[in-house]
Amino acid sequence: MVYALIGILIGAIIGFLLPYTYNTAYTLYISVAILASLDSVFGGIRANLENKFNTKIFISGFFGNAILAAFLAYIGDRLGFPLYYAAIFTFGSRLFDNFAKIRRLWLYKEKPIKTKE
Amino acid sequence: MKKSNPKLIIIISSAIIGLFIASQMKLNLELITPVTVKSIITAKNELSAAKIELIELEKLVEQKSEELYALQNIATGEDNIIDIIESDLKMNKMKAGYTKLEGPGIEIIMFDNLLLNNNVISYNDDIIHDVDILNIINDLKVAGAEAICINEERIISISEIKCGGPIIRVNDRSLGAPFTIKAIGDPKVLMAAVNAPGTYGDTLRTIYGIGLEPYIVDKLVIPSYKGIFTFNFAKPMEEGE
Repeated sequence: MVYALIGILIGAIIGFLLPYTYNTAYTLYISVAILASLDSVFGGIRANLENKFNTKIFISGFFGNAILAAFLAYIGDRLGFPLYYAAIFTFGSRLFDNFAKIRRLWLYKEKPIKTKE
Repeated sequence: MKKSNPKLIIIISSAIIGLFIASQMKLNLELITPVTVKSIITAKNELSAAKIELIELEKLVEQKSEELYALQNIATGEDNIIDIIESDLKMNKMKAGYTKLEGPGIEIIMFDNLLLNNNVISYNDDIIHDVDILNIINDLKVAGAEAICINEERIISISEIKCGGPIIRVNDRSLGAPFTIKAIGDPKVLMAAVNAPGTYGDTLRTIYGIGLEPYIVDKLVIPSYKGIFTFNFAKPMEEGE
């Protein structure tokens, strides 16, 4: 959890310092992709707390989910139907699911895991 | 080494997320709300209405600048104010129907059903009524007629067409069949307005057997209104607030 926050902070600082921006047309896709990858990161934290972390699964989920979510948003735009809602609902609810599990692990697990985190 | 791996990966991946979040925040976007087709259509309508208004306003600006130009000419003494007022008067007289007009248009000759042995039940169906003339004239007006006369009686805004037994009365003058209706306007459109299938004129001719012969004329002359017309009740409204 703390690592994720630190990572996001670092990324945000780098992002603000770098002069690069992207086209405004892609904001929707990027937003949905951010949500998807955020969910992956939460899943990763949870797996780490449960000692089940698998790098391959994490990396493939991180990029795969983001790309799929952005692709859904794009297809939805083409079809004139907001398909990205599917991504928002799925990843949104999973995000809170993961967070709930992280909280429980954090609060009720024994010391060793807590220090590990 | 293996234990530090997950944390490092999480840090790196969150850093990527942070990067995107930051770059998105830098764009300073307004909130994007989902748009429905209905709202798009309303917005489109509003846009087109605004465009039409803009065009009208531009026309108004043009007109006003022309007026301003005329006034400036008067002020500098290049134009005589009397000339301008006279041309105004001419225009207004033309609009009111007090000027003889000429132009392309159509001429319709209408006469009663002349057949003796027809199977129409009532003789009333064989003759032309005031309503028939009224309908034909209305059709012509819809088709964009600019000046209309019946048997050399000019139709102006207050002209009446009323039944007077075997004759009709227009501008307080009695007119008898055959009637010659002249109208200045786009000849093709006017022709279609009385001749096309389904129009009132077509019904008169094909069902009631009343004579209705429209001709396209390149140069019609329509006389001016000959009566005297005064306002007894109507007064111009004071302009202002």
